[in-house]
Amino acid sequence: MDHGFLENVAQENGLAGVSPYVKLAVGLGAILLVLLSPTWVTPLFIAVSLGMAVLLLARIDPHLYVHLLAAPLLFAVLSVAAVVLVTGGGQVFWAWQPVFGFALSLTAGSISQGLLVFSRVLGGMSALFFIALTTPMTELFIVMRRCRVPPGLVNLTMFVYRSIFILSDQVDQVLSAQRMRLGYSSAREAVASFGNLCGASFIASWECGEDLIRAMDARCYEGRFAMLEESAPVHARHLATAGLFLLATSALLLATATGSVPWGPA
Amino acid sequence: MSRIILEARDVRYRYPGGVDAIRGISFHIRRGEKVALVGPNGAGKSTLLLMFNGMLRPDSGTLLYDNDPFRYDAASLRELRRRVGFVFQNPDRQIIAPTVYQDVAFGPVNLGYPDERVREVVRDALRNVGLTGFERRPPHRLSAGEKKRVAIAGVLAMDPDLLVLDEPTSSLDPAGSEDTMELLEELHQAGKTIIISTHDVELAYPWADRAILLREGEILQEDIPEVAFGNPDLVRRARLSVPVLLELYQELARRGLPLPEKRPKTSLDMIHLIEQAFTRGPHTGSCGTIHVCDVDRTGPDALARWLSSRDRLWIGAMGTRAKQRAAEGKITLDFTYGVIDKCLLRALGGESSLILTTGGMVQRVEVRVRAFAGEWGTPIPVEEVEVS
Repeated sequence: MDHGFLENVAQENGLAGVSPYVKLAVGLGAILLVLLSPTWVTPLFIAVSLGMAVLLLARIDPHLYVHLLAAPLLFAVLSVAAVVLVTGGGQVFWAWQPVFGFALSLTAGSISQGLLVFSRVLGGMSALFFIALTTPMTELFIVMRRCRVPPGLVNLTMFVYRSIFILSDQVDQVLSAQRMRLGYSSAREAVASFGNLCGASFIASWECGEDLIRAMDARCYEGRFAMLEESAPVHARHLATAGLFLLATSALLLATATGSVPWGPA
Repeated sequence: MSRIILEARDVRYRYPGGVDAIRGISFHIRRGEKVALVGPNGAGKSTLLLMFNGMLRPDSGTLLYDNDPFRYDAASLRELRRRVGFVFQNPDRQIIAPTVYQDVAFGPVNLGYPDERVREVVRDALRNVGLTGFERRPPHRLSAGEKKRVAIAGVLAMDPDLLVLDEPTSSLDPAGSEDTMELLEELHQAGKTIIISTHDVELAYPWADRAILLREGEILQEDIPEVAFGNPDLVRRARLSVPVLLELYQELARRGLPLPEKRPKTSLDMIHLIEQAFTRGPHTGSCGTIHVCDVDRTGPDALARWLSSRDRLWIGAMGTRAKQRAAEGKITLDFTYGVIDKCLLRALGGESSLILTTGGMVQRVEVRVRAFAGEWGTPIPVEEVEVS
């Protein structure tokens, strides 16, 4: 059953042939640069370029991408609005003091601050979605094992990963059974139904765990777990592209931070 | 190595709740047999199966593997579970790992095989079940039939002698069921002993060498399927139904038709039996030829050339690898299960056919056709396609 998990999208994306190390380096590197950047230029550049990479290279459905970005962006717009109105500094365009000791204002400083926060959210989210949409969990397990994450933790993560899909199937089934019998027709009913759903899911997950132990027993479990072999080797071409992207972004960051370009810090 | 691979002596089991699940069962399974445990829901089929690899321990009675009584210490259980592969009814309950490769490798890795050997057995197991190329797929993205195959591959990777499958075709669509049964047939040809539990008599009847009818934790009947399913009274008591072909045979016999002793197991048997009953003699008229092609030894291009030089042939593929090759070569298959019988049926009607298959299965076609000729007195020509 397809639940619209991002994981399922990631399993079939156009960048599946690129080594997860390269993709992680790009994603994490981009997040770091977003955080370091003192201006809105670099985060925006990252958002645009990673957005293009997700849409054109990974061939993710644009509707899905817009839909994914919409939620954090709405949140960002609201918080940026608050930031812009509450902070101050620089030339004042508009001000209002509804009560004593509390003022709302629109100043050059607050606008540039708001712009920075907004572009950081956008850049950070793009980098995060870049990783989530192009790197399936199954690939991350290999990276985790390689990066010396304790095997117990990796194995546990893998069990959890596998169980999520089984449990979500069961929750789906209970939920549709409840809906079919109008379990959510009134607020009171909805609370009761939701409680039942939680109870049923708890029992289901408990049974799922017992089944897992039984299955492991039947298959001679001794604490060992096979790992997939590396999927895609690190290609020089990919490495060069990723390096170029990170270098160019860092150069842009430096240029804007030192004010050597006209759209430097305000 | 004993001829009897598994034996039960007066085995009893009571669930902690106090329900008697198994009430004194004794039987034996011979090496290389295909046995169906048949009975209604709640007859104790699954409980009994779970004892075969030591997942449940009987309250009394003895189970023997290869004439050795089961021992329940950790090391013995491990060895037992390696030799008795258990495939659960619900593959989601059996598949543990996040990818197909990791799941199939689960057993071998825990048995301590070196990496190289793990890779090898996983590759072989996946090829055997026709899932080559699925290594990196996560199980939740597979169809029910594919999940079943992953579960079977996971067990095959440990190279067990005895395969135990609980309701192997439940929750599969008819084509998926046929594929699974065909896979079991292949594994049987490769030397595995196979026990399945089912309440699908139509499925068990043609497949099994022997059927064990269970009811309320007891054995009701244990015999070849023609006999075990042929007694309407027993079948009713076991809450099953008489297989359609067997019922037809009985009804025809009741109408005084001179029928041979041997009961029909397949549509082919039935058609032949009816034809013979009416013409009172062996098949007359010209028969078609059955061509057999080993796809491992014949390139796709050569095969395409050979096919284009022929009139229309009925084409069937036997075995997972042959089906994969046919799909790769864009060959439209008329038959994908019960292939030999369907080709024999066509041959009796004067039409020729081609069977795509691999390795030892080529011989199986010849053996089956010869056996058919011996039983029914109708020789049918078999020709191996040799092109390169």
